[in-house]
Amino acid sequence: MKLLIVEDEAKTGNYLKQGLSEAGFVVDLVNNGLDGYHHAMTEPYDLVILDVMLPDLDGWHILKSLREADKTMPVLFLTARDSIEDKVKGLELGADDYLVKPFAFSELLARVRTIIRRGIQIPNDHILSIADLELDLTRHRVIRAQQRIKLTAKEFLLLELLIRHKGEVLPRSLIASQIWDMNFDSDTNVIDVAIRRLRSKIDDNFNPKLIHTIRGMGYMLDISE
Amino acid sequence: MKQPTSLTLRLTLLFSTVATLVLLSFGWIIENSMENHFELGDIKELKLIAQAVKKPLQTLQSEQDLPLLQQRFDDILIGHHHPLLKVINDRGNVLYSSLEFKKSLPDLPNFKSPNQTLVKHWKNGKNHYRIFAEQILTNNATPYTIIIAISTDFHHTFLNNFRFILWLMVISSIVVMSLMSWMAVHYGHRPLRQIINQLGHISSNELSTRLDPETVPSELSDLIRSFNDLLKRLDKAFDRLSHFSDDIAHELRTPVTNLMTQTQVALSRTRSNKEYLEVLYSNMEEFERLSQMIADMLFLAKTDNKINPIEMKDVDLYQEVQSLFDYYEAWAEDNKVSLTVKGKLQLHCNRLMIRRALSNLLSNAIRHTPKGQTVTITLDRINNCVSIIVQNPGEPILSEHLPKLFDRFYRIDPSRQRTSEGTGLGLAITKSIAEAHGGSIHVTSDESKTQFQIIIPI
Repeated sequence: MKLLIVEDEAKTGNYLKQGLSEAGFVVDLVNNGLDGYHHAMTEPYDLVILDVMLPDLDGWHILKSLREADKTMPVLFLTARDSIEDKVKGLELGADDYLVKPFAFSELLARVRTIIRRGIQIPNDHILSIADLELDLTRHRVIRAQQRIKLTAKEFLLLELLIRHKGEVLPRSLIASQIWDMNFDSDTNVIDVAIRRLRSKIDDNFNPKLIHTIRGMGYMLDISE
Repeated sequence: MKQPTSLTLRLTLLFSTVATLVLLSFGWIIENSMENHFELGDIKELKLIAQAVKKPLQTLQSEQDLPLLQQRFDDILIGHHHPLLKVINDRGNVLYSSLEFKKSLPDLPNFKSPNQTLVKHWKNGKNHYRIFAEQILTNNATPYTIIIAISTDFHHTFLNNFRFILWLMVISSIVVMSLMSWMAVHYGHRPLRQIINQLGHISSNELSTRLDPETVPSELSDLIRSFNDLLKRLDKAFDRLSHFSDDIAHELRTPVTNLMTQTQVALSRTRSNKEYLEVLYSNMEEFERLSQMIADMLFLAKTDNKINPIEMKDVDLYQEVQSLFDYYEAWAEDNKVSLTVKGKLQLHCNRLMIRRALSNLLSNAIRHTPKGQTVTITLDRINNCVSIIVQNPGEPILSEHLPKLFDRFYRIDPSRQRTSEGTGLGLAITKSIAEAHGGSIHVTSDESKTQFQIIIPI
């Protein structure tokens, strides 16, 4: 997976590059609009991460030019602007997602993965599984080590989200917005409570433990020792 | 737009115009009545002379006898300050003419057989005369015309002098009155200038100054009162703003200090990986707090300043409350708090904002409800308003805190400043959401319950 980051702020750019490289992506970083445009036009990228405010050529112009040149790779905007018009403008021009600074890196990573996965045909499985845990989507059934486990509707959705993103850290804000449609940060530990309850049902009496707390970032479902 | 004419100029012009009109008409009336007075005097004199001439003339038998009357006429004329006299027969022949007449009024036409008496003003060169002509029938029915003229030069000289003085006085009065009205207006505006002067001295750190409405004329006291109100509002807003800046500085300083100290201490010597990890995690928490605070403050600024028009939709509030309950359910259960909602309601509003406002109120309520008790949300319509009440039992909030509860960064217990209770902006955000919908928020608290109520006009 090859990513292009167009970001003029050096520190942000370097950390994004490092973070995304360590997450397994091949990352090119350029620090101005013209270079960004040329790279995006000449090389095949799976995703372009664009800052809106750039020297030479701003993010919107780059996106517009790319779309006019029939380049269809997904584009994710990073911006310090946070107005609805800006969001609408970006999405109308054909951006795939929009992230307002300051953002959590785990949030960016989760969104990058979601966008890239969109492009790939996901096998339309009815059953998702990890280790000895099975999730039957059509019959809404969860089985671990041959035992049927009863989950509430929201717990089921939460587990599905975690399995679909297995091996990825999901920040609390992303979980809140995906499962409960709460698009603002709450000062409560609602997500922690929900995870604890889910954990008590699918992890407490079993081994290996599947749900992991990643301190300072969020939660991850994975097989690990 | 052009600035309207100054009040002083307006009033001065108005007064001057009125004074000019009044004085001019006075002058005109006086001048006319003076002239009238003299004219009447002249006519009276002329009639007397005519009467005197008439008597001997009526006894005249024939024209040939006229020289007999000459001496008589001369005597009459001498007795009346030398008027001029002419007697004309009906053929237009002059039968008698006093010496003066020929000398002074050679051009005067013979007013032939006037049917009635005639009074006329006549000017010969520089000299003015008043002429009187009358037809007289003698006892034997012969018509004669007598023309009498008296000089009015004396009157004219007097009238001219009088007119000159009169108009001089009128004009100087106009000038003096205009000047005086200007001074009066200027003087009358003195309280206004005093107020302006006082206001000019109010700087931003003297917004608590109030002007005394009793010390100004009653017309201005309303102005002073509204100005005081404006000052009060400004003072409050300014106060809140400067507190807000103080608070921001303080709220930001704490996490930044933590970050700097932790990082510097960590870097002061070589440490184990585990220790570095700890520092990074700890930094992470501070950064999250900072980031949350920035996001909240931006949200507040945008909502308060109405930068973006808010997108309104019909929202089923009952449904919204249910999904909030869904979200908070597990956490509430953990705290042994149950949640109920009463009433159903539709509201035209911004769904995300209302959800956020309700979420803030609900999470506060759950946090402050004792174990085993219930948070109740009541949806209701009161008159033309929608009322949303979030009510929880628990420790009462002291009344001194109630008005400040919606202030930014206000915390009831200052020692609990940086606990898990968020950025301290939750209720401020809730309030500004209510206000962005044209509504308001109120809080009451007593021994049994604490209640927040959002009222939004439909």
